[in-house]
Amino acid sequence: MAWWVIALCIVGLALFFLRSKNKPDHKKITIAAFVTAAAFAIFQVQIPIAGGIHLNLTPLIGILTGPFIGTLVVFIVNIFSAAIGHGGWGLIGANVIINFTEILVSWLVFRNMKRITTDLFSQAGVATFAGLFAGNLVMIAVILVSGIQGVNQTPDQILFGLCLLAAVNMGVAAIEAFLTGFMVAYIGKAKPDILEGDRK
Amino acid sequence: MKAFGENKGRIIFGVILIVVLIASFAAYQLTGHMSIEDRYNTAVGLPASQEEEGGTFLGFSVEGNPTLYLIVLGIFCAAGFAAYRYFKV
Repeated sequence: MAWWVIALCIVGLALFFLRSKNKPDHKKITIAAFVTAAAFAIFQVQIPIAGGIHLNLTPLIGILTGPFIGTLVVFIVNIFSAAIGHGGWGLIGANVIINFTEILVSWLVFRNMKRITTDLFSQAGVATFAGLFAGNLVMIAVILVSGIQGVNQTPDQILFGLCLLAAVNMGVAAIEAFLTGFMVAYIGKAKPDILEGDRK
Repeated sequence: MKAFGENKGRIIFGVILIVVLIASFAAYQLTGHMSIEDRYNTAVGLPASQEEEGGTFLGFSVEGNPTLYLIVLGIFCAAGFAAYRYFKV
């Protein structure tokens, strides 16, 4: 319940900042609509690698839409994922917090990577790694703070298990880093104004 | 100068990639071959998941109800197309 409250606060802040803008950005809204569809489409699919993995495209969402619209996108995707039976309603709050972290960190790293390199693929790839790594850290923190009822493992054992889980997840992040890198590099060539809007 | 900037980015990306792949492969060897949900349940000491799963295609499977998945995805795509037409992006 606490995670739901925090998640709703984050969504509320995102809405507040979006409403405080004088003029809605129609291009961003359209991009948000498409990344919502893409994220929902890919998030439900289990890919047969290493026993089954999920991609979630949160770094791409962060890079293309920014942290405020991106927060609304992941909130909507999580709501509809639960609605079709993937994950429980009680997990939405924690998932939104984790996804928000991934979006925020990816967006920040992508914005600042242009000081280091001009290569869009590298900028997006490194941003993806950073975002998903931060998301894994928050996931571990959320689980450790919440605790798991009805298990016999000690917190140290749970932490060790979660670190292994996070390490495997980072292997998935490598796939996502390539995907995001190629997509951002392509968008940078085809429609560079989409990427530059927030980075001037 | 531009080429150096591009190479520096690729080098940083490559180093991160190698470190991540080594750590990930080591963790995969320790935990074994299992789905992401089962990997989570094993990590925290819960029994194996009984989540509803749709049919598989070439090993790919949709989690949750496949019919609802297609309906919701169709609505999202229609909304995206409508926004594209309405805002004339």
